[in-house]
Amino acid sequence: MTRPATRRATGGENRLGARPGEVIDRSRTIEFRWNGVTHTAHPGDTIASALAAAGVRMFARSYKYHRPRGLLTADIFDPGAILQVGDEPNVRAAHRLVEPGMDVRSQNTWPSLRYDVKAVNQLAGRFLATGFYYKTFIKPERLWPTYEKVLRQFVHAGEVSPDSEQPYFDKRYAHPDVLVAGGGPAGLAAAIAAAKAGASVMLVEQEHQLGGHLRWGDADDLRLRDELVAAAEAAANIEILTDSVVAARYDDNWMAVVQRGLPHVAERLIKARAGTLVVAAGLIERPYVFAGNDLPGVMLSTGVRRLLNLYAVRPGRRAVVFTANPEGDAAAADLRAAGVDVVEVDARHGRTVVRATGRGGVEAVELSDGSRIECDLLVTAIGWTAPTSLLNMSGANPVYRPDAARFVPDPAATPDGVLAVGGIAGDGSRDELVVHATAAGTEAAARALALAASRPAIGGTAAPARDAVAVPQLGLRHHPELFFALPTGGFVDMSEDVSAKDILTAVKEGYDSSELVKRYTTATMGPAQGKLETVNTVALVAHATGKTIAETGATTWRPMYTPITLGALAGRKFEPVRHSPMQPWHEARKATPLIAGQWIRPEHYGDPAAEVRNVRAGVGIIDVTPIGKLDLQGPDVPKLLNLLYVNKWSKLGIGRVRYGVMCAEDGVVLDDGVTGRLAEFHYLMSTTSSGAGTVWEWAENWLQTEHPEWQVHVTPVTTAFASINVAGPRSRELLSRLTDVDLDNAAFGYMNVRTGTIAGVDNCVLWRIGFTGELSYELHVPASYGLHVWETLMSTGADLGIAPFGVEAQRILRLEKGHFIVGQDTDGLTKAYSAGLDRAVKLDKSDFVGKPELAWQAARGEHPKLVGLRPLDTSMVPEEASQIISDGGYIVGRITSSRMSPTLGHPICLGQVDAHLADPGTRLTVRLRNGSDTTVEVTAEHAHFDPEGERQRV
Amino acid sequence: MSDLAAPPIARTALSFPGPRRTVDGWEVTARHATGGLRLGDLGPLVKLTVRGPADGSVRTALGASFGRTARPRGGPLAGALVVGSGPGEWLVLGAPGTGGGLLAGVSSVVADSGEFASVVDVTHGRALMRLTGGDVPLLLSKVCAIDLADRVVPNGSAFRSSVARIVTDVVRDDLSADAGGTRSYLLHCERSSGQYLADSLVDAGIEYGIEVGTAAVDPI
Repeated sequence: MTRPATRRATGGENRLGARPGEVIDRSRTIEFRWNGVTHTAHPGDTIASALAAAGVRMFARSYKYHRPRGLLTADIFDPGAILQVGDEPNVRAAHRLVEPGMDVRSQNTWPSLRYDVKAVNQLAGRFLATGFYYKTFIKPERLWPTYEKVLRQFVHAGEVSPDSEQPYFDKRYAHPDVLVAGGGPAGLAAAIAAAKAGASVMLVEQEHQLGGHLRWGDADDLRLRDELVAAAEAAANIEILTDSVVAARYDDNWMAVVQRGLPHVAERLIKARAGTLVVAAGLIERPYVFAGNDLPGVMLSTGVRRLLNLYAVRPGRRAVVFTANPEGDAAAADLRAAGVDVVEVDARHGRTVVRATGRGGVEAVELSDGSRIECDLLVTAIGWTAPTSLLNMSGANPVYRPDAARFVPDPAATPDGVLAVGGIAGDGSRDELVVHATAAGTEAAARALALAASRPAIGGTAAPARDAVAVPQLGLRHHPELFFALPTGGFVDMSEDVSAKDILTAVKEGYDSSELVKRYTTATMGPAQGKLETVNTVALVAHATGKTIAETGATTWRPMYTPITLGALAGRKFEPVRHSPMQPWHEARKATPLIAGQWIRPEHYGDPAAEVRNVRAGVGIIDVTPIGKLDLQGPDVPKLLNLLYVNKWSKLGIGRVRYGVMCAEDGVVLDDGVTGRLAEFHYLMSTTSSGAGTVWEWAENWLQTEHPEWQVHVTPVTTAFASINVAGPRSRELLSRLTDVDLDNAAFGYMNVRTGTIAGVDNCVLWRIGFTGELSYELHVPASYGLHVWETLMSTGADLGIAPFGVEAQRILRLEKGHFIVGQDTDGLTKAYSAGLDRAVKLDKSDFVGKPELAWQAARGEHPKLVGLRPLDTSMVPEEASQIISDGGYIVGRITSSRMSPTLGHPICLGQVDAHLADPGTRLTVRLRNGSDTTVEVTAEHAHFDPEGERQRV
Repeated sequence: MSDLAAPPIARTALSFPGPRRTVDGWEVTARHATGGLRLGDLGPLVKLTVRGPADGSVRTALGASFGRTARPRGGPLAGALVVGSGPGEWLVLGAPGTGGGLLAGVSSVVADSGEFASVVDVTHGRALMRLTGGDVPLLLSKVCAIDLADRVVPNGSAFRSSVARIVTDVVRDDLSADAGGTRSYLLHCERSSGQYLADSLVDAGIEYGIEVGTAAVDPI
């Protein structure tokens, strides 16, 4: 996108002289762009403060009506300053610090923020009725995707480019004894006290600095802030996180903390398990609902004081301060001190504001007595919302106190592991709040340490728990109930453009509870998540229903406390991969990788068919390290084998190998493999690659729960050995050059196992088995020597034409030989008899896992059967999973494996078919993916090649 | 290609860029770390797993209960580190090249117990690394959910947990006071996941300045 040439901002300077508590670094100036115009800022400025200093009043357009919006709170909750920064949408501009070169833009305004044509929505407001989404665009349903696209054009939201560089998100665990949510004076005092009591403390503050409201207070406030911050920073056992938020609290004080502002990552999700949670979230100033309350220039007193005292920005020239509390009075005083002409409207004396008027910003204010005052700034200070989210998440729903005009925590409902301090808990002087928080912090530490002592260290013993000590309650200061000025009303939720009229209409339409109104109107569901809107919404519902606010009750505050990014929730990505010791060799030969579970395996080295032919004609080697291996020791191993396998194991001699199949209790094939007996009480079991973990757990489960009396130890040794299959008619010739084991067929016949030395490596295991149908040896080599043996085989076999082969060639070879693969040719319903294991299943054994089901299956005899299939059309290969259909169009089976056989020159398959169609010579119809049909014929054996097994027994 | 006349070379599960050298028949990285946070490859150490009754004569003979470690000063296990890695399960670590002797020693100890027990040499089947440095708990907190506070995991303790989604035995084995008493942990997992685990630890440790390699003071 072509951007207009950069212009430089001029005039409108609202930056004040140095302020005692300012957080900006005036020694440096940085530049950034705002809607294409270059502005300056000082380090420490937020985007919003820098723009306000430059005289910018309008920052955004509203969600539905595209009404002009300016600063309201001048902090992270500000609904009027959500902007696009570079490729990042929805940035809280009153919180995000300016960085050099930032490109900041208003969101979804056209052609400009000042002249946004979508503001025409205000004229169409009558059609954007309450419950708009539930009433409009319902029918016809098929057009909803179109409606969606149109609606999105009007939504106040930023843009995410698919080409944006994805930031890196991190995750971390933490286990503080005490987690303090909020770094204001109470949070600081609680943290310091908890640390002094010996607890490890995590102190989490949403703002960039500690101190809470002390930061914009008077000299005494700043002095106290300095003392508390210094003490907290000096405490070695307090971990301080600023620009971070406790986003959620779950059972047993499991907290989700999102940490921002880190040098290496975009955000970090901290999963914190704390002994005690101290909620010190402070109070959030509540807006007043009146006509024109969303005009730029209408601000909360705390927002004004932030701009004045943190960023040295004068928010207006002539202000009306509508105040009902000392904090509003202090804002008026601060404004006067900054040279602003101030008119106070004291609600405590019965005067109220009923309307603000102006075009693009406040120009005048109308009062309840009919008077009108011209101004460019209206400051409201009419009450507070206690952000009790974390307490709600702890199961402690707050109760409404009309004398204080706010919800407060119910100590009786608060769990032992959670304490509240500061303004959220009650009112008091600065010192009273600190004293209370100190006591609570000490108690929080005591509870956490007692809890920790009740949990033993690894290898230690638990200490007895102590009794908790109650924390005294804070009182509540009287505050008038001021919520709205009806009938003119105004906006309740400025994030969602929900007005007082919308709330009243919703109640009239029957949505007469807070929860219903919330969902019907979307009030409290925007980015501020109810911080600014909940109490006013409840007050309006109460007014409309004739109930009290206490009777009406607040909506439920659930996680997250504040919106967080999906990236933070996704966090660090862990994708384990497993490699064999020969992986560097495969990579060096540019083998095509195959991801099999977590294993990275060579699928082929360029030409799987050639690899097959080389194995049939000469010798090839394949890396089969992922094959599962379990070391079995103990006198009762045969009992375990007899229990897990469907066949018999009692007479397996030393040095002999037997193939076995395991079934689950329902008779469904679970796994297969071979087990060899290495010594009197020592066996080595192999499993499928994907079944290694399952079989180990399966064996342990039976041993630990059903037969703990058996003397068997099962140790997984899958990766203790690098496994190499040497296959082909010349494999014996090759191996004989490298091993001290007698390879003569008479001494080491098919289905035998030996131990010996290979390529100078001791303690190797040699198996005379094969999956390929050729003479082959499976070598299990101590894994650290795997690459050495592999390379030695390759160099020693060069004159024999040795070549590696990959998983694809192995699959072709085994299909030619008719060996099935568990999970490929079987599925979650395939019982042993369906897999063609009739001869393996020994129902005359006293017991084995799955026997009752298999006995039942054998008796019924109606099960599907795995059969060999040969397509009559030799030019094409039916896709795996193709359905086999009967003449009537019914599905009677499916192709489970299919390949073109390089050895035979025609396609070969395995498939499952209904029992009555499994006789050799039966011709079946296969429905292909393209809808056409082809014919296959059932073969006499699963094996298409060397069904007698002569090649592997030589 | 390997030379048949040459002795076989053993390779650990971990491979890091840079020079390598051969020690006691093992090819290992030649990198030395000097920083305060380092990851060393202890793959060549002898590793034996022992299974037996959780609380019987085998445990007494090995000297380590579940979750604790022991360094026997005498007897057939002298010089080895015994880790109570699971209920009725131990990991015995010995210096490279001591495999045969240590296996015989452990086997004799086990046999003398009169209990049903087994010993399996997993030297080649496991990856073993040592993380050393004061910031190791912070690093591990990014990949492991366990509380590593002293009172929970004191020096000489061990646990099995998920580390970067890999089942890992974590053993706290701080450097001796003579070597600075620095925090140090052994991490032990099955071999094929070793490189992934090491890469994950290095990635997590970048912000703390992690180095790959061992320092002279690092024990086995």
